Amino acid sequence: MNSHDVTAAPVLLSTASQVPVIGIGSAVCAGFPSPAEDLGAKRIDLNDVLIKHPLATYLMRVSGPSMREAGIDDGDFVVVDKSIKACHGHIVVAVVDGEFTIKRLYKRGGRIKLQAANPTYPDIVPHEELVIWGVARHCIKALPV
Amino acid sequence: MYALVDGNNFYVSCERVFRPSLNGRPVIVLSNNDGCAIARSNEAKALGVKMGAPWFQIRELANTKGLVALSANFALYGDLSDRMMAIAASYAPRQEIYSIDESFLLFEGMPGAELVSIGRALRDQVLCWVGIPTCVGFAPTKTLAKLANHVAKNAERKPGSYPAEYAQVFNLGACSATEVAAVLMATEVGEVWGVGPRTSARLKAYGIHTAQDLTRVDSKMLRREFSVVLEKTALELQGVSCARLEDVPTDKKQIACTRSFGRPVLELAGLAEAVSSFAMRAAEKLRSQNSAAGTLQVFIHTSPFRTDDPQYSRSVTVPLSRPTSDTNILVSAALAGLRQIYRTGFKFAKAGVMLMDLVPETVQQAELDLICEFDGLQQPPEKRLLMKAIDGLNRRYGRGAVGVASAGTNAGSAPRGWTMLQERRTPAYTTCWEDIAIARA
Repeated sequence: MNSHDVTAAPVLLSTASQVPVIGIGSAVCAGFPSPAEDLGAKRIDLNDVLIKHPLATYLMRVSGPSMREAGIDDGDFVVVDKSIKACHGHIVVAVVDGEFTIKRLYKRGGRIKLQAANPTYPDIVPHEELVIWGVARHCIKALPV
Repeated sequence: MYALVDGNNFYVSCERVFRPSLNGRPVIVLSNNDGCAIARSNEAKALGVKMGAPWFQIRELANTKGLVALSANFALYGDLSDRMMAIAASYAPRQEIYSIDESFLLFEGMPGAELVSIGRALRDQVLCWVGIPTCVGFAPTKTLAKLANHVAKNAERKPGSYPAEYAQVFNLGACSATEVAAVLMATEVGEVWGVGPRTSARLKAYGIHTAQDLTRVDSKMLRREFSVVLEKTALELQGVSCARLEDVPTDKKQIACTRSFGRPVLELAGLAEAVSSFAMRAAEKLRSQNSAAGTLQVFIHTSPFRTDDPQYSRSVTVPLSRPTSDTNILVSAALAGLRQIYRTGFKFAKAGVMLMDLVPETVQQAELDLICEFDGLQQPPEKRLLMKAIDGLNRRYGRGAVGVASAGTNAGSAPRGWTMLQERRTPAYTTCWEDIAIARA
């Protein structure tokens, strides 16, 4: 069986199911206009401080305790900016054995290594060219509530 | 001067941004339902994997050559594309986004020598900020810019195809006449923008093998024997600009939302969920371009590849008594159409909803508001606000966050039978909180 384009009777608009709509329209009020309206004040947006370069910013979730003493704990979110050139002392996301790892970059006297912020973790000394994926600018952690 | 900026093996490059372990390995991305290869890494191309190759034919390479196949992850590709396009747009006063991975830029009054360094800066920034390698081709026409981009790409990937200094960023507009002729001569006519495989086979019968040959043909002959389009292509290759930059996207004349099912669907209920969801999605697209649809079409198909199964294919066109963009009306119309064409006893493999007869909603609206006042029928202003609110919620909380109940739900244990098969999809790293990449600490 292969026939196309059967034409059906028009669907009456009133047969469409009616969805109740409650109070979405903006209210019209009489009286004094709000004095705030003209100032164009906008509620504070966290993105303003956390995201400097929106096109180059990515979020990652931290897994593991190796950066604990830098205040970066397991489960925290880090805001990673790919547009920044990584320097000595930056907390970076680097590619080690094909995986993302977050560590502090040590870059002094021609020596490059990745340092943990936890004495039980050894430094990572790259045997090939070190690939830095991005620089972590902020850490977002949830506090117990 | 035009520039064409194009992401290299775009979908594969997107996957590699968040899975660096895929670098240097043969990788392909598969189409919806894991059907065939729609993007290939250079390593996969070197294994002989062709564009569009069906997965079942190349599956063996996964075992023998370490070929990695991934399901298309359009949430990721879309986000990285947005970033790439926005960066490219900051380099020129005008941009035309041509596809998910290509955009034309228009530079006016810019000296040729400077353009290459601008192209390099653009390429470096996209690579650093997004992680996607690109190629940039400059030329005085769009067709030549496309060709210059092809040259930039191939000079990098296939050494010897073009001079090595043309790799990655190439300005054809700064070349001497002899150099341009050499490039056109080294380019097969089938590689020219707009020349498909059939046209190129016919051209070869006329002795036209290269882009250079095409510039030498009498344009009247091209128009007579082929088409006005090909005549314009030949002119563009000669440096005469015929195609303008389309930086204002033209509204679509039709909006379709169709999909093959992950597994066959037999029951009306399953089809109704799928069709409702397609109608919802199509309605959202319709509103995003501020149009209303006067006609809706629904179709359902069995799989033409399962030749042993009874075949059934039917579509129905449902005229709407008034153009609308209201999800509820469009879904109801789609379901009414579906009920007319549904028959039991078939294994349905595909369904779709197409909205046609589109009109601008702005024209429509004033008229409607008037009518509403008289007959009190649908589309009161709060209904439009409801649609706006639904679109806003879906943008914010992800597609399908809010919808009509007949589209079913992914919540609960049993997934909808008709959703896409995407066994190898990587996480939506940049668009979904649950999918954010992990950094080991």
